[in-house]
Amino acid sequence: MMNTSNGMISGPSSSSASAANPQSPGIKTYFKTPEGKYKLHYEKTHPSGLLHYTHGKTVTQVLCKNIKCTFHFYVLKVVSENGFVKFWCQVTLAHLKDKPAPSTPTGTSSSSTASSGFRSATARLLGGGNGNRALSFVGGNGGAKNVGASSRIGASFAASSSNTSATNTNFDGKGTYLVFNVGDAIFISDLNSQDKDPVKSIHISNSNPMCHAFHPDAKDGHDLLIGLNSGDVYTVSLRQQLQDVGKKLVSAQHYNKDGSVNNSRCTSIAWVPGGDGSFVAAHADGNLYVYEKNKEGATDSSFSAIRDPTQFSVDKAKYSKSNPVARWHIGQGAINSIAFSNDGAYLATVGRDGYLRIFDFSTQKLVCGVKSYYGALLCCAWSMDGKYLLTGGEDDLVQVWSMEDRKVVAWGEGHNSWVSGVAFDSYWSSPNSEGSGENVMYRFGSVGQDTQLLLWDLEMDEIVVPLRRPPGGSPTYSTGSQSAHWDNIVPMGTLQPAPCMRDVPKLSPVVAHRVHTEPLSGLIFTQESLITACREGHLKIWTRPDTQPSSSSEATNPTTSKPSLTSKVGGSS
Amino acid sequence: MGAAGSKLEKALGDQFPEGERYFGFENFGNTCYCNSVLQALYFCVPFREQLLEYYTSNKSVADAEENLMTCLADLFSQISSQKKKTGVIAPKRFVQRLKKQNELFRSYMHQDAHEFLNYLLNEVVDILEKEAKATKTEHETSSSSSPEKIANGLKVPQANGVVHKEPIVTWVHNIFQGILTNETRCLRCETVTARDETFLDLSLDIEQNSSITSCLKNFSSTETLHAEDKFFCDKCCSLQEAQKRMKIKKPPHILVIHLKRFKYIEQLGRYKKLSYRVVFPLELKLSNTVEPYADVEYSLFAVVVHVGSGPNHGHYVSLVKSHNHWLFFDDENVEMIEESAVQTFFGSSQEYSSNTDHGYILFYESLGPTK
Repeated sequence: MMNTSNGMISGPSSSSASAANPQSPGIKTYFKTPEGKYKLHYEKTHPSGLLHYTHGKTVTQVLCKNIKCTFHFYVLKVVSENGFVKFWCQVTLAHLKDKPAPSTPTGTSSSSTASSGFRSATARLLGGGNGNRALSFVGGNGGAKNVGASSRIGASFAASSSNTSATNTNFDGKGTYLVFNVGDAIFISDLNSQDKDPVKSIHISNSNPMCHAFHPDAKDGHDLLIGLNSGDVYTVSLRQQLQDVGKKLVSAQHYNKDGSVNNSRCTSIAWVPGGDGSFVAAHADGNLYVYEKNKEGATDSSFSAIRDPTQFSVDKAKYSKSNPVARWHIGQGAINSIAFSNDGAYLATVGRDGYLRIFDFSTQKLVCGVKSYYGALLCCAWSMDGKYLLTGGEDDLVQVWSMEDRKVVAWGEGHNSWVSGVAFDSYWSSPNSEGSGENVMYRFGSVGQDTQLLLWDLEMDEIVVPLRRPPGGSPTYSTGSQSAHWDNIVPMGTLQPAPCMRDVPKLSPVVAHRVHTEPLSGLIFTQESLITACREGHLKIWTRPDTQPSSSSEATNPTTSKPSLTSKVGGSS
Repeated sequence: MGAAGSKLEKALGDQFPEGERYFGFENFGNTCYCNSVLQALYFCVPFREQLLEYYTSNKSVADAEENLMTCLADLFSQISSQKKKTGVIAPKRFVQRLKKQNELFRSYMHQDAHEFLNYLLNEVVDILEKEAKATKTEHETSSSSSPEKIANGLKVPQANGVVHKEPIVTWVHNIFQGILTNETRCLRCETVTARDETFLDLSLDIEQNSSITSCLKNFSSTETLHAEDKFFCDKCCSLQEAQKRMKIKKPPHILVIHLKRFKYIEQLGRYKKLSYRVVFPLELKLSNTVEPYADVEYSLFAVVVHVGSGPNHGHYVSLVKSHNHWLFFDDENVEMIEESAVQTFFGSSQEYSSNTDHGYILFYESLGPTK
């Protein structure tokens, strides 16, 4: 169902600086892909009057402090400037379901969500920390593996399009919201409203919010995680925040109080998929903590001293009542972003040392990993089927890691600066995949500090061919010998060195579009749109192309069909 | 400043690197351009070590003529032989020598740090080359006595007094010099003409919201020569359309990257500072090299930062990585900073930003072999 509101913003995007920027020509409000035009539909931003950076570090520079200049009759010029170290805006998508239960409970839901009485909706969550990192996470989804099923479940987002703009006083308890952080505040905007301003502003008094994550199936209502610069973590109910008229967190559960367990920056936070309320918080000192939501954030938590700071190690809490329950020391340097695979089996981390690490979450063991071409990695994201991982960072590349091959299978070249967000488009399907359950083509996107959004097509049949040419025997990629193949080449738990430039096939983007005037920090795909965010806290919602007119349907109709693509999408290699 | 020095010593505590000295430089009237470059060079370990070795081996020559290099060596020796770990030193002798030798630096006007760096490195090269030539002359006149003597630690690539026309390779070249190759391909006969040139640093054009990686790619991008810019092909014996490309034939051990932040505006008749945000990673690999040097990795160890909104005024400071700590040198002040604070010097995405601290000269050291 299409949105009833057709308000199109045609002017150039607003900037936090009041003056128009002569360096930047107007940014187009649309971009073209092989399947059609993406159009700028809505813009979301923060009220500029409310912005302040009280928790930012102050760097004071004194210019021309050469006192001796006065003896040579030069004008003594002393200028004091405060350069704030601004923290980057991250954005999280949150979908609240109807409060009254529908009359027909969904039979296809798994046992883990049976108690909720109705189907869970797929929600893509992005949460990150300081310095442009994106985390892609799919909420507990009854173990749905293929994109097709997820797309059908995701169709329930159409229900929210009929929702009118909600104010705090008449909040009706449902809708799709964007949660983003700027300065010392968390803002919540209605995704489907044409209002630019957020419906809710929450000011954090003790530190700056850095990252956040939403759990659509949280049992007791505490579904939103917030990580702070001081290391503290809160869980709150998004519904309660929207219902309350105040500007503070309401009924927040507090963990790592005042950084008692870890006082370094909380850089990335995520719910454990399919879990019973567990979540993990990653920090700038290279540690990651596993929390149980239902346990008190005990102040007497303590962990053993880390034996070797360069090695991965897991320590359990000394006391059974402690929360966090475990500390994972990933390695030296900050963890910049973490991501769970859709089924919760794997946890990926990327960090300052440039390594992508993939852990088996249940056994707490390192499975595999690889180093970036060079520099830190800033973001990572899983494909819906768990077969591929995207990473991006300071080498300006988008790296595609294959879980089957245990290697980097492609490098995306096209960004002119650091890559700060990556995501797979799980709602997009290639025309070649009609009828067959196997997904042979993937669409993913990336955003960078070059202010560009790039869209990429990954067709594995074409990518694999160049890898077979190098000498060294004939590697077999048949399913039967996969395990033996892995064991021979890459032993379990190994971090691979950076690949060489000539060894990795290159991808070129399908689309390159400048979407903001400020460096970008986030990217989300939804059923009907894609959402980009810049570091200053400006969000843009880009509507997907209409390949066929969308028929009007009831809000509760679960069988809304996904429009099929008629154009042939060319492979890029 | 005893207070600031002891503060830094406390901050480092028992992690203070053994044998290291962190000294600020006094400012003698707009000499911050000099101070910031000297700090970057002092913490360029191969350069410092060679200079101190030169100083040690030449100290006994009492009648040696004073020059810019001996003053620099004397200054570095003063720092490294201090009993205190932190403090302030006055580079008076060096500054006086600099002003005496070069009229450009004589005034108290604000100077460009990159011009100073270029002048200093080339001056040191000239001095070393003169000494090498003098040594060669001595060898020729007394060819029968110890022809393999290595004078002043220089690598003289000759034997038995045979005169070579090869350019003299000093230790400055070994540290800083790379080779660029200009490849021009005639679009008619497909002949590739290559012309090599050496460089001590790379000057890169910058763009808003870009990275050093993309600036380096643009530096090596293919340019088509056509219309009035046609190329004279020796094989075709006529002007032809061609494609020209610049590549790094041999990367240097120390890669110095100068960002072209000052652009001449014709209408205004003066230079304007480009405050563009250009991100520079702490590790870097060059992708615009010829095949044998692919994937060579570099690590950032110093940044000379320009503070201010224009080229003719403002200030220079330097950021230096020493033994895995980042230090901030602002004339006589020395402080420790977080590694993440280096990112605050990338530049501004907004043209009229309050942040005017922009990375200007970047110093990268190779982690692998470049020979």
